Amino acid sequence: MTPPTPGCNPAVGGAKELRPFRPPRLSILAAYAVLSIYAGLILSTLWFLDLGPLQSVARSERTWFAVRLSLGAATVAACLALVCALPAAYALSRHRFAGRSWVDAVLELPMVVSPAALGAMLLMFFSQPIGQWVQEHAVRFVFTVAGVVLAQFVTVLGVAVRLVKTAFDEVPTELETVARTLGAGPRHVFWTVTLPLARRGVLAAFVVAWAKAVGEFGATIMLAGTMALRTETLPIAIYLRLSTADLGGTAALILMLLCLGLGALAVTRQLLGRATHA
Amino acid sequence: MLEVERLSVRAGVFRLEEISLTVASGECHAVLGPSGCGKTTLLHSILGVRTPVAGTVRVDGRDVTRWPIERRGLGYVPQHLALFPHLTVRENLWYGLRARGLGGREWSAWMEDLIHATGLKSLLERRPAELSGGERQRAGLVRALATRPRVLLLDEPFAALNETLRRELWWLLHGLQRQYGLTVLLVTHDLGEAYFLAQQVTILWNGRVLQQGEKSTVYRHPIAPVVAEFLGVETLHPGRVLRVEEGLVTVQVGQAQLVAVGPAQVGREVLVSIRAGDVMLLGAGEVLTSARNRLSARVVSIQAGHPLLRVNLDAGFPLAALVTRAAAEELQLEPGRPVQAWIKAPAVHLIPLAGQAGPSLE
Repeated sequence: MTPPTPGCNPAVGGAKELRPFRPPRLSILAAYAVLSIYAGLILSTLWFLDLGPLQSVARSERTWFAVRLSLGAATVAACLALVCALPAAYALSRHRFAGRSWVDAVLELPMVVSPAALGAMLLMFFSQPIGQWVQEHAVRFVFTVAGVVLAQFVTVLGVAVRLVKTAFDEVPTELETVARTLGAGPRHVFWTVTLPLARRGVLAAFVVAWAKAVGEFGATIMLAGTMALRTETLPIAIYLRLSTADLGGTAALILMLLCLGLGALAVTRQLLGRATHA
Repeated sequence: MLEVERLSVRAGVFRLEEISLTVASGECHAVLGPSGCGKTTLLHSILGVRTPVAGTVRVDGRDVTRWPIERRGLGYVPQHLALFPHLTVRENLWYGLRARGLGGREWSAWMEDLIHATGLKSLLERRPAELSGGERQRAGLVRALATRPRVLLLDEPFAALNETLRRELWWLLHGLQRQYGLTVLLVTHDLGEAYFLAQQVTILWNGRVLQQGEKSTVYRHPIAPVVAEFLGVETLHPGRVLRVEEGLVTVQVGQAQLVAVGPAQVGREVLVSIRAGDVMLLGAGEVLTSARNRLSARVVSIQAGHPLLRVNLDAGFPLAALVTRAAAEELQLEPGRPVQAWIKAPAVHLIPLAGQAGPSLE
C-alpha cells in the first residue's frame, strides 16, 4: 500500500488513490455535439455552392439591396426595441404596479405564437379601423420598408425587455438607495449608477435583438410581403431562391447571411468586451 | 437632530410597531437587536426607502416623512457599503457633491480634511474592488459624510471586519464624531460597538422597542429578561423578595441571600441580574467594606477569555465573575477552590417576573 499523499484524507478517499480533477466527459461531448450539428448544416450548404451562382448572386443589385435592407431594418428595429425596453424593463425590475404580471406574461408572446402568427396578427391589426386609420394618416406599414422594421421590432421587443430586465435585476438596489441619499434624483441615479452597471447585459440584449431581427422571416413576409427591391430582406431572398429550386443561389445567399451575421456578432462582441473592461 | 415618532411600518408579514426615538445633535444613538428584529426596516423607513403606515420622521425639526430620499439630508452607510464598483474611490467620494452641484474652495477643503483624517489619499485612483475591507469602510464613511448630512445612518457597517480592524474603525468614527459633531444613528447587533460608540441605546425586539435610555443605564438595568439575555448579562437567576427595609431589598437566590437597591414588593418573584464585571473575588480574610454582599463561593470552572477570564462559581446559585490573569494567579484560582465573592448592592439588579410586560424568558 502506498503511503497517503499529504493533504489527502484517507477517510474520504478510502483505499482508492484520489484522482486529479477531470472535466466531466459527457458535458464536453454535448458541447461538441452542439458544434457538430451547426457545422454539419454549414458544410451541407457548402456542398451546393458553385462559383457561378456565387458570382451572379454577389454581382446582383437585388442581393445587395436585400443585404442593405436586412442590416438597416434590423439595426433600426433593435435600436427601437432597446429604447422601449430600457424604461419598461426598469419598471418591471424595480417597481410593483397594477398589471405588472400581465406585462411580464406578454413578453413571451412572440416566442409562443411564432413570428408567422405575429405577422398575421399585425396584418389583421392594419385591416381593422384603427389600423386603417394609422395606415392612411400616419405611416403605411403593409408591404413597405416600415412594415419590415415593424415586423422585426415586434418580434424582438419581448426578448429585449426580458434580457434588459435581467441586467437591471443584477444591479443591487442598495447602490441606488445610497446614490439617492447622496443627493441624486432617480434619473441621475439611473444614468450614473444603474445603466453603467447593467451595460454589459444591455449591450448583450441589443446584440441578441439585432441578430434575431436580421434573421427574421415569418412576421416580415406576412406584413411586408416579398417585393423585390422594395421589401425583400435576405431571409426572404433565400426563401424565394429556394422556391425556384435554385440551390446554388440559395447556398450563396445563406453563406452571405452567415458571414454578415457572424461577422457583425464578432465585432459587437469585441466592442462588448472593451466596454465591459473599460 | 433626528426624531422618530410612533413610526409603524409593514414589510410583508413583518411589522414595526410605533417606534419612537430621538437622536440629539452631535450624539450617537445605537439601535440594538438580534437579526430579524427590524433594525434595517427601521433604517429604510427613516431613509425613505419604505413608506410608513403611520408616524413621522423629523430631521432638524422638519417633517420629512413624505419627502424623497435625496431631499432628507441623511447620510447612509449600508452593511455592505455599496461603493459604486464602476467608479474610482475619488469618483465615489465626489459623487454626492457632483449630484448636488456643490464645489468650490470650501468643499475642496472639507474633502481634503476628511480624506486626510481617514488616510484615503493614496487610494483615490483605485477601484473599490482593489481596496481592503478597512479601506472600503473608510471610503464608505467619507462618501456618506462628503455632503455634510444632518444625520448619518449606519447599518452594521463594521460587521464584516475582524476584531482589530473593527476597533480601529470604532476609534476613527468616534474621532470623526467628536471632531465634526456628527449626529449618528447606528444599527448594530454588536454590544461592544454600541457601548463604545453610542451615548443612547434603543433595544429593538421583534419590531418593538423594549428599552431605551442612556447606555450604562440600559446595560446595568435591563427591564425585561429578554433584554438582559440579549445584553449578555452573565448571571441571571430567579429569586424571591424577602424583605424591603429603607430602600434595601433582601432577595433569596438559590441557597444564598443578596441585598439589592430599589423598590420591590415582599414575596415578588424576580430575576436577579448581575454583571460579571461587578463581582469582585477576594481571598479569605480580605474585606471589601463598600460591598454589602459577601458570598462564600467555590470555583466551578474557569473559561479562558481575552483580556479577562470568566470564573464560574457556585455561591448557592450559579454566579459568574471576571478577573484578570494576574488576579487569577494571585488568588490561585482553580476548580474546587473556595473564594469570597463581593457584590455591591446597586450592582444587584432585580427584574420583575410575574405580570411583567413584554416577552418572557424562555
